[in-house]
Amino acid sequence: MASAASSAAAPFWRAAGMTYITYSNICASLVRSCLKEPHKTDALSREKVHFSVSKWAGGKPEKPSTIFSLSFSLSRDDFCC
Amino acid sequence: MAMAALRKEGRRILLSPNPAIAVRSAILSDIKCKYITGFSRAILLHVVRNRMKSVKNIQKITKAMKMVAASKLRAVQVRTENSRGIWQPFTALLGDTPSVDVKKNVIVTITSDKGLCGGINSTSVKVSKALYKLTSGSEKETQYVILGEKGKAQLVRDSKKSIALNITEIQKNPLNYTQVSVLADDILKNVEFDALRIVYNKFESVVSFIPTVATVLSPEAVEKESEAGGKLGELDLYEIEGGDTKSEILQNLAEFQFSCVMFNAVLENSCSELGARMSAMDSSSRNAGDMLDRLTLTYNRTRQASITTELIEIISGASALTG
Repeated sequence: MASAASSAAAPFWRAAGMTYITYSNICASLVRSCLKEPHKTDALSREKVHFSVSKWAGGKPEKPSTIFSLSFSLSRDDFCC
Repeated sequence: MAMAALRKEGRRILLSPNPAIAVRSAILSDIKCKYITGFSRAILLHVVRNRMKSVKNIQKITKAMKMVAASKLRAVQVRTENSRGIWQPFTALLGDTPSVDVKKNVIVTITSDKGLCGGINSTSVKVSKALYKLTSGSEKETQYVILGEKGKAQLVRDSKKSIALNITEIQKNPLNYTQVSVLADDILKNVEFDALRIVYNKFESVVSFIPTVATVLSPEAVEKESEAGGKLGELDLYEIEGGDTKSEILQNLAEFQFSCVMFNAVLENSCSELGARMSAMDSSSRNAGDMLDRLTLTYNRTRQASITTELIEIISGASALTG
């Protein structure tokens, strides 16, 4: 699976509705999770995401939604084996 | 009657939003108090003392804010200067094309969530409005994406119809690339664009920042531009590795470029914000100091006047008895 994915990775994640940014974030997060302990907590602190978005329609803001984490649904355990 | 006027005057001293007027009125009442009784003079002394106390407290707060901004700035400045290396390769490869003429423009205005930082928010709002005027026209569409509370408050007044997205609270944690890239991803998914124009304040030094526009083109626009020649025409000189086509590569590049430019822009802007806050707070503590000096003068003069009056009363009373 891993070798097949690396040769034709681009269509796969693009077909899953990811942008390059999400894809590279997943890769970065995987690399971070492979670090050893003193560096790992340090690196994980750079992964914190917090902001709130509100869409506007017709000159009015809609209810803001707060985003706390990377927006991909696959958990890290699915990748690490 | 005089008492009522004085009380009114005193309230104006306490509540006046403009410090210059407040001081002037304090001095005015100083002149008035030469003609009033000792009792109301005691009240005036009290009023001035209260005013001095509040000015002193405000000065303490502004000094503290200045210190906080200064210590935050030091950390952010290093990261900002390092983050400049992240967009420079993109500009070397794709060039910066602020004059590109496309149909769908999205202006990303970066402002701060908090105020008390001088003019940086109004500068970026002003630049965004100018860009809006430049890019709008017949068959063209321009939208705003606003980062930060302050930019929203200013743009909602006259251009709320063209706001597409508003993002706040990005500075809860220290800024990091992951966060900004998730944010950039959100923007990409929610707006349609041919060109993204990111407006931010580039940090130059603690006292100066330059309003800057960075342009990120959509892959289609890049391709169109590269066919037209110029800097982007050199793109065909590059060899593409792997099985990806040119359009795929361009799309990936455009997305990654946007997140990198955003990362740098957000950092630059927060750095400028802290610098601006530092200098604003510095000048306001200095102003508070000046005001305090003037108030102290008024206070002492009034006190001295009351002492002199009392002395005159005592002496003239004594001389009346003896004489």
